[in-house]
Amino acid sequence: MIAKGFSEPTERVKRLKKAIVDAIPYVEDDRAILVTESYKQTEGLSPVMRRAKAVEHIFNNLPVTIHDDELIVGAITKNLRSTELCPEFSFDWVEAEFDTMATRMADPFVIPKDTAARLHEVFKYWKGRTTSELAKSYMSKECVDAQDAHVFTVGNYFFGGIGHVCVDYGKVIKEGFVSIIKEAAEHLAMLKVDDPEYAKKSQFYQAVIISYNAAINFAHRYADKAREMAAMCPDPVRKAELLQIAANCDHVPQYPARNFYEACQAFWFLQAMIQIEANGHSISPGRFDTYMWDAYKVDKNISKEFAQELIDCIWIKLNDVNKTRDEVSAQAFAGYAVFQNLGVGGTDEEGLDMTNDISYMCIEAAAHVQLPAPSFSIRYHVNTPDEFLFRACELARLGLGYPAMYNDEAIVPAMMNRGIPLKDARSYCIIGCVEPQVPHKTDGWHDAAFFNVAKILEITMNAGMCDGKQLGPQTKPMVDWKSMDDFYEAYQTQMEYFVDLLAEADNAVDIAHRERAPLPFMSALVEDCMGRGKTVMEGGAIYNFTGPQAFGIIDTGDSVYAMQKHVFELKDVDIRDLKEALDHNFGYQPGTKEIATRQTRTDVNKLGCCGRGMPSPLQGAAQAQNKYAQGVSTAPGEDQIKDIVKRILVQNGSIDLGALTQQVNQSLSSSSVAACTTPLPSDANAKYLEIKRRMEDSECFGNDYDPVDMVARKCTQIYEKEVEKHMNPRGGQFQAGCYPVSANVLFGKDVAAIPDGRLATDPLADGVGPRQGHDVNGPTACFNSVGKLDHESASNGTLLNYKFLPSAVAGDDGLRNFASVVRGYFDKKGMHVQFNVIDKDTLLEAQKNPEAHKDLVVRVAGYSAQFTGLAKEVQDDIIGRTENDF
Amino acid sequence: MEEINYEKKGIVFNMQRFSVRDGAGIRTVVFLKGCPLKCKWCSNPESQTLKPMLLYSVSTCIHCGRCIATCRQGALSPDNPTFVDRTKCIACGECTAVCPTGALTIKGKYMTVGEVIKELKKDESAYRRSNGGITISGGEGLTQHEFVTELLKACHAQGWTTAFETTGFAQPEIIEAVIPHVDQVLLDIKCIDADKHEKNCGVRNDLILQNARRISEISNTIVRVPVIPGFNYSEEDIRKIVEFTKTLHNVKAIHLLPYHALGSNKYALLGREYEMETLENMRKEEVADLEKIVLDAGFECKVGG
Repeated sequence: MIAKGFSEPTERVKRLKKAIVDAIPYVEDDRAILVTESYKQTEGLSPVMRRAKAVEHIFNNLPVTIHDDELIVGAITKNLRSTELCPEFSFDWVEAEFDTMATRMADPFVIPKDTAARLHEVFKYWKGRTTSELAKSYMSKECVDAQDAHVFTVGNYFFGGIGHVCVDYGKVIKEGFVSIIKEAAEHLAMLKVDDPEYAKKSQFYQAVIISYNAAINFAHRYADKAREMAAMCPDPVRKAELLQIAANCDHVPQYPARNFYEACQAFWFLQAMIQIEANGHSISPGRFDTYMWDAYKVDKNISKEFAQELIDCIWIKLNDVNKTRDEVSAQAFAGYAVFQNLGVGGTDEEGLDMTNDISYMCIEAAAHVQLPAPSFSIRYHVNTPDEFLFRACELARLGLGYPAMYNDEAIVPAMMNRGIPLKDARSYCIIGCVEPQVPHKTDGWHDAAFFNVAKILEITMNAGMCDGKQLGPQTKPMVDWKSMDDFYEAYQTQMEYFVDLLAEADNAVDIAHRERAPLPFMSALVEDCMGRGKTVMEGGAIYNFTGPQAFGIIDTGDSVYAMQKHVFELKDVDIRDLKEALDHNFGYQPGTKEIATRQTRTDVNKLGCCGRGMPSPLQGAAQAQNKYAQGVSTAPGEDQIKDIVKRILVQNGSIDLGALTQQVNQSLSSSSVAACTTPLPSDANAKYLEIKRRMEDSECFGNDYDPVDMVARKCTQIYEKEVEKHMNPRGGQFQAGCYPVSANVLFGKDVAAIPDGRLATDPLADGVGPRQGHDVNGPTACFNSVGKLDHESASNGTLLNYKFLPSAVAGDDGLRNFASVVRGYFDKKGMHVQFNVIDKDTLLEAQKNPEAHKDLVVRVAGYSAQFTGLAKEVQDDIIGRTENDF
Repeated sequence: MEEINYEKKGIVFNMQRFSVRDGAGIRTVVFLKGCPLKCKWCSNPESQTLKPMLLYSVSTCIHCGRCIATCRQGALSPDNPTFVDRTKCIACGECTAVCPTGALTIKGKYMTVGEVIKELKKDESAYRRSNGGITISGGEGLTQHEFVTELLKACHAQGWTTAFETTGFAQPEIIEAVIPHVDQVLLDIKCIDADKHEKNCGVRNDLILQNARRISEISNTIVRVPVIPGFNYSEEDIRKIVEFTKTLHNVKAIHLLPYHALGSNKYALLGREYEMETLENMRKEEVADLEKIVLDAGFECKVGG
């Protein structure tokens, strides 16, 4: 057997997990109060010193909490899975949600009344003092307009801290905080007063010393608390555990860890402290199996079982971290995601495989704990041991959605293409969702924006118009396009314009963080802040990037190809008719699956710009209200229209659009349903439906069909190449990514109908994967298509989600094939893939709506698949099986 | 070097990628038209004739009538019992081009060896990574033996392994021509009783059993038994097949393929009746006793291929 199965976690781990699962997330106010108290007292000081004083005040006063059963301690909040707030970045959206955050749809948090009252008090101080207000003041009107129109959003760093970093965990474990304080003191001593930057640098070094001293105190407060609890503890076993915890916290992270247990405790303190200093998400442990291995291999006394339990405990602790976002962002990042990416496997800087015991123990921990955090990754390269890849596939086969798999063979060259030397590129880790960076040397600014490429397509088709106004440059109207060259010229022009504005917005936010929130604690563990005497926000990191991510690229590719095929090659759709059909949402009532009965143009013109969707800086927490859902409730259904069209066509035996439109019009106006509204040229709707049908009769991305795959590649490359032209204030380059988190659904609501037949407000495709249900040739074909995109130019990461039926990966043969598919995809230079195993609910949904799930692969010996019209009982049976039965 | 005729044409009705039950690893299965047998449980009935065929899905049809106007043979009419008059239809495909919903499709396409190879190349990296390759299935590939021979040679020239799902029903000289180019034969032995075979499969099995011996001498062979309720779903039938297999040359494995009804819908698409009484897919457990017989006889056994 290749499959080894997974062991049971210990009873302690089960209890710890249950506590996390049962916890109700709260908003807490301690940190917000502490930071405000400090800021009120430091008004005259330099920004970095104010941050140091603030973090000192927080570390010295934040409540100390040790939960039952814990072996590893250190909490950001008093309650499990709860959140503190950072009003220094933004606060008004919290204020707006005091009463509703507990009941909202995505990621609710309870805010007790007295907490709300105290928060309300401290928020008063922050009016006019936040990073977000400063950033907003730096943006041009055009830049703000583009965000209001939801072409892109920079909400992530606009509303919160930057995060997205992997600090030097190994250094803290090996050398302790004392070495950082010593280093800062040495720099300070060596600093010459005639250094032109003396003032700034000396402030930075002092800020580091202050914050690390306070951080040591934070750990010592845990030691005291553990001793105090031990003294009261009647259970001798737990008492001993608490005393051990006290001893650990006395020693680490102040001093080098002396054993694996201390290394785990030091790791966790650091992970928590970074997230106390500020609220940026994607604080990523990175290559956990490199630095923890160094501690594990020299610990001769620890049993493998106990080491496993400690790793499991870290896994649990990672799930204790939580952050709240405004309601709309919460939808975009749904699932309380905080993206602490922890990875195993891959090569060392020499290019040699470094997989070790810790790598496997992390896979085991993921199977033991089965909770969303950490975002668990494996690195793959051509010499990845089969055993490791099989084990990773075995974990993926559990259907938890992890591990995500990353391809060194694509990522290393992509990073080198950004000027990173080979050795550093080889030691990359993953941050957040899918973003590669050189750990503890990079300020990657990875989630810099969501950029809606499908919206660019829409604007291109409207000659720069959006919401009835000239938002982008005036390009050649769609109806005048004579060839694909005309399209590409207009698309390029719009792309250049909006990417320029995107860069402007990102850089405005970047500068605001530099000026108001330079973070000393985190910066001291990112090279070469100590050498340069400045924080990462001021350009202290060796590698600096800004990485906005695109989504809607596949919808754009499919649309552009459909247009190329039908308008310019087959010429069976006139471009004027297509434009008209798009303007009328192909005849559908906007936001519904109903055919419209009346003129819908006015509604459609508002699409994408109606205060729905992307969190715009100017709107703060945008109101989630779907304007498109309004409409005529008496619209005849699609079936009714179909019937009418059918009848006419059957009578005539052929189709004449002119006659058809007239007849449909007559049928509809004579029917009672249509009579109640303004008479519509409903004839037109039949025409639009016919155009939709023709446009949909096009090959789609994901089927290994070169002509469409190459169009998707080109449309994406235009974005990628435009992004990388820009520079950020930290002296680094912009680099594109292609991943949506879960924004493709939310931000799809901002996009009007597009030529691939997608209706206004429908979800967009997920990441670089095919549109849902449009890949019908199985995984290898899908992966080949995705492999044709220029991943190396998307060096901020690409994301492919793929779903398997359980039967496709069952048994050892299934595991072998699974691993082969992964290796095959990575041979094609794909960058990232993660798998889901299709669950019963999806299958049931597929049964109801088979057309939308043509991608489900059932493979049976000697059987040529053909699922059209499969009898219900046969389908039921497929659905009922989760094993490799056929 | 052996000459390969890349221009040789055959009639293919599907090339199915990521096939994982038709030989080792990840394979692309080339499904060929034409079969001399008429097994009533056949899950690929669209394969049986040696020419393209029109499939019509009533559930997808919106009865728009465009196809009726297009058909120059007068083969389509709501008055026909199954819409398509198969005696008139020449499967020219003109109706499929005007069908707005894909309710009409043509199964079967003439392709050259070169064209097939081009398609097969797309999954090269999957074959390489999984020790997979190409599987010829059908229908019965031996019906198009000249095409199959060239195709198998061409696959070998690419460095791919070849597998062949066959009934073994062909003249011995055809076996001699084709099988040397096959790395693994997946040979169906459905039952030993010749009368029963004739009654359920439309042909007697003497030729099959005779060829089986020769096939096993030429190539690595796995015997496959579709387990069909009401036909060979009995210990006696399986025991006889096991005994027979012992007389073959160095066959190490007998695979049992439990009956499934996944092909049932295709009969309606072809305007035919599905004659099997049950739509219930057999479960693995239901062949456990039969699996034991195979294992006890010293053969490897896989259920489901």
